[in-house]
Amino acid sequence: MTELGLQPFLALSAFLFACGVVCIASKRNAIGVLMGVELVLNAANVNLVAFARYNPAFQLEGQVFTLLVIVLAAAEAAVALAIILNFYNNHATVDVDQADELKG
Amino acid sequence: MLNWIDTNPGRIYLVATLLPLVAFTLLLIGGGIRSACRPYRRQGGFADSLYWIFGGDKPLKTGAYLATVLMALAAVLGVTGLVLVLTDPSEGSLREDRWAERLTSWVHLGPDLPTPTEWDRKRESDPTPPPLVALKLELGYKIDHLAAVVFAMVTVISTLIFIFSLGYMQDETEVVVADHEVDRQTVGRHASGPHVGQHFQRRGRFGRFFLYLSLFCFSMLNLVIADNLFQVFVSWELVGICSFLLIGFYYERPSASTAANKAFIINRVGDAGFLVGIMIAWTYLGTLNFEEMFTRVRSPIADSHGVAQFPNQLIRANAAEPYRDGTPRYELPPRDEFGTGSHLILMPLVPEEPSHVHSPGYGPHRDQDFAVPASQNVTTYGAIPYWLFVVMGVGIFLGCVGKSAQVPLHTWLPDAMEGPTPVSALIHAATMVAAGVYLVGRSFPLFAPEVLLVIAYIGAITLFMAATIALVQTDIKRVLAYSTCSQLGFMMLALGVGGWVAGLLHLITHAFFKALLFLCSGSVIHGCHHEQDIRKMGGLRHKMPITAFTMLVGVLAIAGMPLLSGWYSKDQIIAAAMAYGLDHQHHFLLFLLPVLTTGLTAFYMFRLWLLTFTGSPRDTQVHEHAQESPRVMTIPLIVLAVFSIGVAWGWPLWNADASYLGEILKKSEPAAVAVAFAHEHETAHHYHLAAGGLALILAIIGAGLAFHYFSRRQPTPETMSAPGGAGYRFLLNKWYWDEAYDKGLVRPTIQLAQAAAAADKRPTDAPPPPGEPELPPKRFDLLTVDGLLNTVGQAVAGVGRWLRIVQTGQLRMYMLALALTAVLLLGILTALTE
Amino acid sequence: MSLPVVLFALLATVTAVSALGVVLSRNVVRMAVWLLFTLIGVSLLYLLLGAEFVGAAQLIVYVGGTLVLLVFGVMLTAQGPLRELRTPAAQLVVGGILGAILVSLLIVVSYHIVLPNPPEQDKLPGVASLGLAFLGVTETNPPAALTGLPEGTRVARTPVAYLLPFEIVSVHLLVVLIGAAYLARAKRRVQS
Repeated sequence: MTELGLQPFLALSAFLFACGVVCIASKRNAIGVLMGVELVLNAANVNLVAFARYNPAFQLEGQVFTLLVIVLAAAEAAVALAIILNFYNNHATVDVDQADELKG
Repeated sequence: MLNWIDTNPGRIYLVATLLPLVAFTLLLIGGGIRSACRPYRRQGGFADSLYWIFGGDKPLKTGAYLATVLMALAAVLGVTGLVLVLTDPSEGSLREDRWAERLTSWVHLGPDLPTPTEWDRKRESDPTPPPLVALKLELGYKIDHLAAVVFAMVTVISTLIFIFSLGYMQDETEVVVADHEVDRQTVGRHASGPHVGQHFQRRGRFGRFFLYLSLFCFSMLNLVIADNLFQVFVSWELVGICSFLLIGFYYERPSASTAANKAFIINRVGDAGFLVGIMIAWTYLGTLNFEEMFTRVRSPIADSHGVAQFPNQLIRANAAEPYRDGTPRYELPPRDEFGTGSHLILMPLVPEEPSHVHSPGYGPHRDQDFAVPASQNVTTYGAIPYWLFVVMGVGIFLGCVGKSAQVPLHTWLPDAMEGPTPVSALIHAATMVAAGVYLVGRSFPLFAPEVLLVIAYIGAITLFMAATIALVQTDIKRVLAYSTCSQLGFMMLALGVGGWVAGLLHLITHAFFKALLFLCSGSVIHGCHHEQDIRKMGGLRHKMPITAFTMLVGVLAIAGMPLLSGWYSKDQIIAAAMAYGLDHQHHFLLFLLPVLTTGLTAFYMFRLWLLTFTGSPRDTQVHEHAQESPRVMTIPLIVLAVFSIGVAWGWPLWNADASYLGEILKKSEPAAVAVAFAHEHETAHHYHLAAGGLALILAIIGAGLAFHYFSRRQPTPETMSAPGGAGYRFLLNKWYWDEAYDKGLVRPTIQLAQAAAAADKRPTDAPPPPGEPELPPKRFDLLTVDGLLNTVGQAVAGVGRWLRIVQTGQLRMYMLALALTAVLLLGILTALTE
Repeated sequence: MSLPVVLFALLATVTAVSALGVVLSRNVVRMAVWLLFTLIGVSLLYLLLGAEFVGAAQLIVYVGGTLVLLVFGVMLTAQGPLRELRTPAAQLVVGGILGAILVSLLIVVSYHIVLPNPPEQDKLPGVASLGLAFLGVTETNPPAALTGLPEGTRVARTPVAYLLPFEIVSVHLLVVLIGAAYLARAKRRVQS
């Protein structure tokens, strides 16, 4: 593994992160936005585990963090979905463009 | 408790000053409770019973009795204090400790000054406490002979006037009072209101009168015992307010309310000058305490090497080359030019080294050189530009000009007669207007010779002018008002030409006989049912004998009949004026005018008395219903008459210089008077009899002329009311001062105000006539006040509208913005760490 | 070209392509499938890196839990026109540019990271250490080298364990469960 180095993993993580951000910024479907969020979180997790592997100071911490993030992502996905369902029940649509009642 | 007074007998005065304040507070609380409970007065309940306890619908007289009793108590304390002051054998600093106290400091500015080093070094051998602290405003009192005498005078006269008012203000004890004067003055104004055809009615205000009067007495007494200019100023303003309240006592009369405004505003003009003087004193002298200011301004009397070469004088010096370390230096002028110089040197309050003090002078061991540090304080020498010192004196004097109704701030005093007569007697004859003269007397060492000359001239002009106006007035109180103005001019003149004792003696005697004259006129007015025009009187001698006799005593006193109190003081004033005129021939007016006015005074005072009390009655209606006043009013008259006769007696009786009161006053004469006017005092002593004789001759001529015109030849109502020549009208219209002020000051101010208002008004404020379009706002307004403010508001609204575009409510926009921000921040961080 | 490198290349390609698929597909159901592949790829990456427990947890929780949840959501809401919602092209372009800049920036940053030497053993601590750490046992932490210090410096670190976060997270899950259940309760549906 040593000849692989850290950078490729970080590059992959950056790519996943960018995909996630673009997904959030460009999907009209609320569930699509949620998927973008999942991508972002996963990118962060990859980053954490890569550092855990390549930095001896964080061998344990990286994994612990990753596990916590996974759990919290799951929780957050549950709540987000509940909100989306609520929104669907009230407005009969999941189009985020229709959720602009906070318009100034 | 006696020990408390025994150690500091001056505390008697403190108690006496606070007694009227106690009366004021109690009356205020009682009146306040009563008016707060008035809305509930028919509802039966706690408020209702409180209302009836505190008087109910009719004003309660208890408050007035209480105020009178407390005032009488203060008078007793004042006289006791005077006796104690006269019999106290202590001298020097022990006396100062017993009769003066610096009670508390209100405001402390800056840190305490460091004690001069020599004091620290010698502290074991010299137990005197180290000197003063930073600038402070404080309260304190100082009783010397002058203060004791004036205090006793004020309290005694106040008590008598309180007693007089119990009778004079009887009308105000009614539940409902109808004021016909208001009807007369506002005729036509309420033509469409609910009062058409009705007489004006209001509730009685008996208690309020005594409330204001008590406050006034407290303020006046505070002024008398004050030991620093700040306390004087506070009392100054307080008496001004009380004067305003009392002149406008019948405030529904437009004449009364305008007169009150006029008095207050004109006083304020004088107070502005006073403030300028105080500020200069505060800045340069560093203190407002009288004793300390005098020590600063005048050279010491003695130093470590004996008597000073120039004791107690104003030392002037010129700026010279600074010392090597940069400290500015001032130098006495050459010996033959002594007394000139661009700056006045201020002496340190406490010297650097208490055991080795030099005084200014020429020769060894005398300071010709003064080192004045850049930041002067009270323990170093100081230098004030001489012109600024003169301005300070003029400023303080301006306050006195306003308060004592001297030219040009005299126009308020005649109008102040709108107030009830006891008010005129107390405030505008005996006490408040005397405050100005008292202050001039107190602060005498602070006045440069130029200022004293100004004081003398203003006094001279005033005394002459007011006397000429009084010759032709037809209202009893107006004659007496102008007479007061004139006599105050006498006092100012006396103070300006070196007759310090003369001026202040006249203050005391004048207080007594002027109060007597005013109270007599009040008695006449009361007896004639509020008739004040002497053209309608005549022959009242038989109807009101006590009033007539006591008024005659007053008239004789003011005219200067020998052996009456007025003669002693007037004699001394004329002697001082003559001495000054002889020594300074080019100031002959300062002698000529008072001598002439002595004659004029006798003339108009006798005219007043003769027209009122002798001859045949000119208005039978008035004469029919005239009656003598009740005893509560005539007894104060008799007491005051006794005082007017004998208050200035001395032994031998026929020697005007021997007045006992004058000798008492002489004990508190500042040394500066003797220093500045030594030669004039010599001359006065020589020419004393000549001056007295001259004054007496002129008074007799004046009285004779009055008898001739008004007793032998009985004037009829027609001759009295006939329009006279131009000179007569000039005098009747008070030398046209009011008209000049109106044209020169009042009109331009109102025009300026109207112009300023026009700049702000829009033509659209009034609705446009029907059919015409609305006009746009004026261009001037668009560019300035309104336009600017509106622009600011519109700009903010515009920016808000522009910023609103960002809030789309769309999630994706927000996310893009978030991402953009993250990218930017990351980029910046990367760039910075590259 | 040792095995790890090859494996990494493969897995990275799969994951990246799947992520791109999530972004580019318009049908929400297809997006879900692409996401599935992405998550699996990530899990395999964890296994490659030696974090077995994390990889397993990723599969169980993420793929088997979160993704299923998402698919349920898709099922409940993707009716008719809602399955394919199109974004205006301009916004796609802007988003794409932003993404590209982000990627390049992050990659540039990543190349400036200076790391200390990896430890003697080439392996991450196993499940046992993780479990003990979660239970509050603090001696599981080895003394370690920190970035920025000279080579070979080992710093004794404060013993730290993760019992508190563990407990907090479990309570958090409970709260979230209750909250989600309340939020998504059956209500009358608005007539569209």
